[in-house]
Amino acid sequence: MKRISKILQLIGKILLPIGLIAFLIFSIRVTQPDLGKLISSAPKAGDILSQLLNPQLTTRKAEKTSLSLTIPVPCGSVPNPEPATSGPRLSVDPVCGNPGDTLTLYGYDLPKNANVSLRWILPTGGLLSIRNAKTDANGGLNEKIEIRPITAAADGKAAQISIEISLPSGKLVASQTLKDVVDTMFVTIFMALIATTLGTIIAIPLSFMAASNLMRKGKVGTIVYYIVRSLLSLIRSYEALVLATIFAMIVGFGSPFAGVIALTITTAASLGKMFSESVESIDEGPIEAVTATGANRLQVIMYAVVPQITPDFLSFTIYHWDINVRISTVIGFVGGGGIGYFLSLRINTLQYNAAGTALLAIILVVWALDFLSSEVRKQMI
Amino acid sequence: MLKVEHLTKVYPGGTVALKDLSFEVEDGEFLVVIGLSGSGKSTLLRCINRLIDPTEGKITMDGADITAAKGAELRHIRRQIGMIFQHFNLVKRSSVMTNVLNGRLGYLNPWLSTMGIFPAEEKKRAQQALARLGIEDKVHSRADELSGGQQQRVGIARTLMQEPKLILADEPVASLDPVLAHSILQYLEQLNKDDKVTVICSLHYLDLIQRYATRVIGLKDGVKVFEGLPSEINRVKFKEIYGEEAQDIRATALE
Ligand SMILES: Nc1ncnc2c1ncn2[C@@H]1O[C@H](COP(=O)(O)OP(=O)(O)OP(=O)(O)O)[C@@H](O)[C@H]1O
Ligand SMILES: [Mg+2]
Repeated sequence: MKRISKILQLIGKILLPIGLIAFLIFSIRVTQPDLGKLISSAPKAGDILSQLLNPQLTTRKAEKTSLSLTIPVPCGSVPNPEPATSGPRLSVDPVCGNPGDTLTLYGYDLPKNANVSLRWILPTGGLLSIRNAKTDANGGLNEKIEIRPITAAADGKAAQISIEISLPSGKLVASQTLKDVVDTMFVTIFMALIATTLGTIIAIPLSFMAASNLMRKGKVGTIVYYIVRSLLSLIRSYEALVLATIFAMIVGFGSPFAGVIALTITTAASLGKMFSESVESIDEGPIEAVTATGANRLQVIMYAVVPQITPDFLSFTIYHWDINVRISTVIGFVGGGGIGYFLSLRINTLQYNAAGTALLAIILVVWALDFLSSEVRKQMI
Repeated sequence: MLKVEHLTKVYPGGTVALKDLSFEVEDGEFLVVIGLSGSGKSTLLRCINRLIDPTEGKITMDGADITAAKGAELRHIRRQIGMIFQHFNLVKRSSVMTNVLNGRLGYLNPWLSTMGIFPAEEKKRAQQALARLGIEDKVHSRADELSGGQQQRVGIARTLMQEPKLILADEPVASLDPVLAHSILQYLEQLNKDDKVTVICSLHYLDLIQRYATRVIGLKDGVKVFEGLPSEINRVKFKEIYGEEAQDIRATALE
């Protein structure tokens, strides 16, 4: 007998590693990891990463000044302009031309190293942009410009070349992306907040109904206990993400409402379970003592039960808010609205700088909430 | 004042914790219940204020049938019976003040008190109760910040708020050291002598029994095996109650 069991143990010892290896091989085949691909696409990854790490946070309010110069096309259609001799000024060589000719535009005493946008002001008043350029260290400009047929003078009016100089001397202001990110982040935080609040309100009565020490006293109580418990575990088997996808189809893609419903349901289920465990672990002693003073049931709950469960309930709720903010950032990807939806849109349209801004905001907010919730929970214990 | 007749308690598991137990308690007695662990002392005390429903038998206090009482009537009876516990059973996270006020809940407006509103005179009464037990400086402390002896004194203060006719004390000093045990029992003795509160108390140590009890009841497996004066407990009686194997430990206290 002893021998057989020893042999069985030995076989077990051999089979276990074999089984583990087989399991590993199987999981590798199923998930198809391709390290080669990860390495070969490194340059692409580097490009994406550098954009992601370069979030658009601010723009400068640019101070813009412009200068212009009339160009007679063809020559003689209008009188040549008087050349200016001092101050920021432009000149062209030759001073006029025909469509297809190339002119050289010179600028003098312009702001140094400034961004300049070159454009035609057409005789009709329309604008035709040429290109962006930069002034040199002395404030000079030297650009070749081709004359286009559309610039021909009409009704005694000639086209002008105009330069608009943007000086980054303006104040730093939040970029539009940053504003959008802050807005959608607020949506996400409040989505999590509302879902957590509603979920908690639903979870409290459910948790009492799922606490064996309170419910399993009579027949009705036991039945309610089993129903609520199974309901809670059934709901908890669905991820918030799955529910959000379903509700996004119902209430509309990109609507925070879908996320709120999904998170409320999962919060109620998981807090219901956590709360009920907390109720189950309370000390019966104070309940006995307060009952013995002649207090009624409500007074007993208020003075013997509530003080025992409040710290747990609060700390679980804050913890869950923290989780909900994280989940709701992801929920946007399946159409639940908020920062996740913003992020998925930017990634899909290859706006990695904007996506980087959103990622930065998510990191900051999650970190801050993590810190806040752990501080608050520390206070309560 | 208290009459227990043919009291039997069978727990759902089938354990017979009390078997056909009858005795009477007179006004002003300090009755001590003794018996081995599991002999039914806690069950008996909890049947008296109906924290446990007896299976059979009848308990009356000053003519009122406790075993038949329900709802408001039961709460009315309970508020006249204070209870003190081995593990104090304070609400640990609440303040000492709140714990003491809890003793008054049976007298207060249920709605106001549920919302945490207590009349000023009740707060004053709580202060006085704490002062009587020498811990008025702990009023604002959290209950679990107090030492065991202090917590038991809060327990007594909570009971004082009930203005009880009867106090049930279930091994009130079993978690305390001998010096504290005496100080707690002296407070009970004071209530018994000065305030004429009847006391029913379960105790384990013979020196304490002989010092404080006016009468003793011995239980063994839920059956009354002794009833008499503390001075009547001798070695033989003691063996009957506590069994052969326990004699060495217990009997030393007797000598
Ligand atoms: N809630 C319960 N359910 C089932 N059986 C119980 C319950 N409470 C007590 N008993 C049983 O009833 C018997 C008497 O218990 P009880 O607590 O009254 O004894 P005790 O004399 O107070 O003991 P101790 O000195 O240990 O406190 C024991 O056999 C115990 O196991
Ligand atoms: Mg006991």
